[in-house]
Amino acid sequence: MTDLELRHRTYALFVQLGRAPLPEELGARDEVLAGWSRLHDAHALVLWPSREEIRMLNPFSAVPTAHRVRAGGRWWYGNCAWDAFGICAALGAEGRIESSCPDCGEALAFQSDRPGELLFHCLVPAARWWSDIGFT
Amino acid sequence: MNLFRSEEHIECWLAGREPGRTLPVAKLRELAQAWWSDRLDPAWRPHSREQNQKILERLGLTGEFWRLP
Repeated sequence: MTDLELRHRTYALFVQLGRAPLPEELGARDEVLAGWSRLHDAHALVLWPSREEIRMLNPFSAVPTAHRVRAGGRWWYGNCAWDAFGICAALGAEGRIESSCPDCGEALAFQSDRPGELLFHCLVPAARWWSDIGFT
Repeated sequence: MNLFRSEEHIECWLAGREPGRTLPVAKLRELAQAWWSDRLDPAWRPHSREQNQKILERLGLTGEFWRLP
């Protein structure tokens, strides 16, 4: 299995299961972990420091975040506001996005195709997005 | 990369830090569509840096801040 095939299969299984797949669900554990590690280094996914579990399969987050999306009949988590819309785009489905204003904490909930007048702020310049992708 | 209720809320949240860039949420939706819509396509191939930079440029996101490494 090439790294690109592994990536496709990882995404497909994530969407099918609604959660990050375990390495043994995709093939021989050691081979999958080695492939994931190469994909992590190529910024194609994000692993936890142990390099044994997926943290981000952008735009999807494997862990709960402040950016929740209901689309395609299931709840998902995005890594950021951009990714919340990205989940709808990737699934080819409009959905409900729930987030909150980081300043005042007020809940923000809307349909992805009717987002209203909210503002998106990108703090980190593009050149540094991957310097600390968790912070970005 | 967060959503805010208004410019005033962004300013309060920054608390004196250097701001990044602010977009209307409708522009973010366009950006997400262009960036992520092919991600689950079985024929998907990784976007090159140039492809991604063109996506940003098409949406008017130009200048040093939006320059990919």
